[in-house]
Amino acid sequence: MLDTLTSGTNEPEQARRVYYRIVYAILGIAIIGLLAGLVTGHELLGTIIYCGGAWIGSGITFLAPKLTDVPLQDERDTELYNRASGLTLGVLFVLGLSVIPAIYVLEAAGRIDPPPEVTGAILLASGLFLLWGVAYGIVKRR
Amino acid sequence: MENDLPRRREAAGLSQGELAEAVGVTRQTINAIERDRYDPSLELAFKLAAYFECHIEDIFEPGENNDST
Repeated sequence: MLDTLTSGTNEPEQARRVYYRIVYAILGIAIIGLLAGLVTGHELLGTIIYCGGAWIGSGITFLAPKLTDVPLQDERDTELYNRASGLTLGVLFVLGLSVIPAIYVLEAAGRIDPPPEVTGAILLASGLFLLWGVAYGIVKRR
Repeated sequence: MENDLPRRREAAGLSQGELAEAVGVTRQTINAIERDRYDPSLELAFKLAAYFECHIEDIFEPGENNDST
């Protein structure tokens, strides 16, 4: 597909640019669709747009490098993704360590009554770290 | 890690994009290596050395690493 789109120029740089524009455009449409659905009360439609965009974007991200000889991503991109992921987890970890125990203590003392959203966020963060731990264990043994 | 990739590339009359295509990476990666903002993997270092028909240590040498990409 990318080869066809860039056949006029046959430039790897152009193919890479087209690839990123397509992926980011699809993901952007998906997110905007979801938010628009939530705001306008069409949650189901927004969710369908989001899921469709997420799946199509992920599919292109997975398939495109296999369908073209152009290096759409390379080792530096991988390192950048890894470092960004590590930074994100680090920030979440520091925030979690500093906030979650305080919330539990204050809740146990009857000083606060956390809304369900906070409880959900804590469970989500806990699940994320659990998943990271499992993934780390798998990667370490491979 | 320091390198003399720009000198070797220019001596060969190559653009960053042409060298990137030759070793199978993006132009941005070659640019980052030349600016000492990214240390290539051993695999890429071998490819670059093979392309310029020299040893890895002829292109790269240990130096101050700013550890950024």
